[in-house]
Amino acid sequence: MKITEKGISRRGILRAGAAGSIALAAPMHFIRNAWAQKAIGNFPARTEGSTVKFGFIVPQTGAYADEGADELRAYQLAVKHLNEGGGMLETIKPLSLKGNGVLGKKIEYVSGDTQTNPDAARQAAQRAIERDGVIMFSGGSSSAVAVAQQYLAQEKGVIFMDALTHSNDTTGKDRRRYGFRHFFNAYMSGIALGPIIAERYGKDRRAYHLTADYTWGHTQYESIKEATEKQGWTTVNNIMTPLGATDFSQFLTAAINSDADVLILNHYGKDMINSLTQAVQFGMRDMQKNGKQIEVVVPLYSELMAQGAGDNIEGVLGTANFNEKLDDPGSQVFIKAFMEEHGRPPSQAAHTAYVQTLLYANAVEQSGTFYPPEVIKALEGLEVDGIGPGTALYRAEDHQCFHDILVVEGKAPSARQDEYDLLEIVKHVPREEVTYPEDLPAFGGPEADLGPYEPTA
Amino acid sequence: MTINSIFLMMLTGLQLGAIYALIALGLTLIFGTLGVVNFAHGALYLIAAYFAVFLAGSVGFGWAILLVPIILFLIGLALERGLIQFFYSRPHTDQILVTFGVAIVVEEALKWMFGANNIPFALPSWGAGQVLFYGAGAVVPDAIPGIRIPMPFLEGFSFFPAWRLLLIIVTAVTILAIFALLQFTRFGLVVRAGMRDAEIVRFLGVNISARFSIVFGIGALIAGIAGVFGGPITQVSPTVGMALLVPSFLVVVIGGMGSMIGALIAALMLGMALSFTTGFAAAIGDPTMKTVLTALQQIVVYLVAVVVLLIRPRGLFGTKGVFE
Repeated sequence: MKITEKGISRRGILRAGAAGSIALAAPMHFIRNAWAQKAIGNFPARTEGSTVKFGFIVPQTGAYADEGADELRAYQLAVKHLNEGGGMLETIKPLSLKGNGVLGKKIEYVSGDTQTNPDAARQAAQRAIERDGVIMFSGGSSSAVAVAQQYLAQEKGVIFMDALTHSNDTTGKDRRRYGFRHFFNAYMSGIALGPIIAERYGKDRRAYHLTADYTWGHTQYESIKEATEKQGWTTVNNIMTPLGATDFSQFLTAAINSDADVLILNHYGKDMINSLTQAVQFGMRDMQKNGKQIEVVVPLYSELMAQGAGDNIEGVLGTANFNEKLDDPGSQVFIKAFMEEHGRPPSQAAHTAYVQTLLYANAVEQSGTFYPPEVIKALEGLEVDGIGPGTALYRAEDHQCFHDILVVEGKAPSARQDEYDLLEIVKHVPREEVTYPEDLPAFGGPEADLGPYEPTA
Repeated sequence: MTINSIFLMMLTGLQLGAIYALIALGLTLIFGTLGVVNFAHGALYLIAAYFAVFLAGSVGFGWAILLVPIILFLIGLALERGLIQFFYSRPHTDQILVTFGVAIVVEEALKWMFGANNIPFALPSWGAGQVLFYGAGAVVPDAIPGIRIPMPFLEGFSFFPAWRLLLIIVTAVTILAIFALLQFTRFGLVVRAGMRDAEIVRFLGVNISARFSIVFGIGALIAGIAGVFGGPITQVSPTVGMALLVPSFLVVVIGGMGSMIGALIAALMLGMALSFTTGFAAAIGDPTMKTVLTALQQIVVYLVAVVVLLIRPRGLFGTKGVFE
């Protein structure tokens, strides 16, 4: 006697259901396969185990070692949150991550040293890609390093998430399909800073620039020059200073000998600490020219620089990507987690490093694969909330992330609550105000090209 | 270009040269007596600057000026007895390698202890402020504080930081003191004899090795003076030693290895070259010339070295056959 003489058996339903779901899934599956036909970089070979590796290549020696150390703290936190949940996984929208790794695979990481030197950085990244098999790498402090890493990323087919790089070139003439920048850039600093310094110091000002002689300094000088001249300022002069100079007195004397009444320091890190400290020693902040008080402006500020320059930052204006006093939910959960883990507030370098790692992972989770072209497409045009104030946009055309940025001012020693309380937020500049067309001449014009999704090498 | 700006450029050149001269003086003294190329000299400056910033912050700047050179003298003695003495008979390349190694170890150790970031080193209150120079007939408002020095050739008045003038004076006094020590004391006589021919001095029953250890200590002591007075200018971070070593070593090479007067003149040459190329680059109107001078300003130190060494391979006052 047959059990299932009439009607539909339980087994039959299951069978039909399974066949049906396979049929439904088939088109997607085929698309996936069509994409996945080509092996790119470390995909798929290094994503087949139970873990995947990220590479964090930061300056551990050299002038930017403290920025590097802070980035590494943030990367460790990001990996922890990816594997165990918490932090910005509670605030990012839209969120695909589940707090159990990425696509169910635990995240491990390797770190390398850029030595703040493009050649060393490239070698360290190459080791991470070829020996350690990282599926994504991130890091860097110095735009020269970032640009070198982006070219390597494109060549190897491994995505690079830029950390601290502020040169226009990174998402300008040197933009690459495999490179993404969350940090703001010199041009955005100019847009944000121009109106405020004109409001504070007046429209009839004469500016003297001292500029670090490499990609970042050059683009920052051009950007700030354009932004201040738009406000009616005159640019008296610009002198390129060698990177890592210990004494800027010959440059400061030249500025004092001119008829300029504003000194703009396109310096970062130690260069900025030295040039600002020495400008104060030369009495420039107590001097008058053209009947006006001489003012000093530092277009790109960081907490670590403010620490290094001590009391000399008082009243000096500049811009920043992040500040540890931001009160939006995303910044708050990050600051809290970072404080608990490391006992100190995060710098803007740490913030951008953390965000970049999560955004990459989220894009992978969202696209359901580590296949780089799909991950890139998930990031391109992405609008995301909960990583800082406002909604951020990763523009597809140049891989620059647009979000609110800050104008900050150095606090007087008496106004500080603790050793980290150095910068005051003067203004939130909304994303819309700092957005610019991607084909501006300052960004390589219409010829600037991201390159192919599939590396030809 | 006005007379005032030329005057300021001269002072700047003097001051830039002063810090190179102080460091180069120690380098050339050690090379002249011990025959050792001491690439750890920048690291000695670094140690001095760290001691200075912490002593100035805790017990006061006056104590730092007194204590740091003494501490550095002792560190110098320890370094010479503990390490350098084993390299006297070895080739210069070995000496360079070992002292360069010491420099890297010191730099990384300080970074490990205090971080790579700058430690702010403020001027003492008595050393801050400007010195005012005024020309004949200039009317100086009474409200301007600080020291005033008449300079009849100036138009109106000009300022220069008091601390940098002090650095120039300290350098001059140190150089004179070292010169006097070597020329007019018995210790100096023995050391100079040892520099001429250590073997013979030893045969005469003089313990020249002990004297040479002290000379190494004095070299370190000068780095100590440079660290205390230069620290507030160069600021205090692990990379500053290496950044100063390279131009200071060039000063020694241009001046002639082991020659004190050579080092002094070479330091002045480099300081003035840096100051005046920058000054001209800033003042010139023609854009092409400006680009050229701006580029020149960054390499002028090396350019001077190349020209001098092409014409005179042993350096300005070098001994024939030494590093030629």
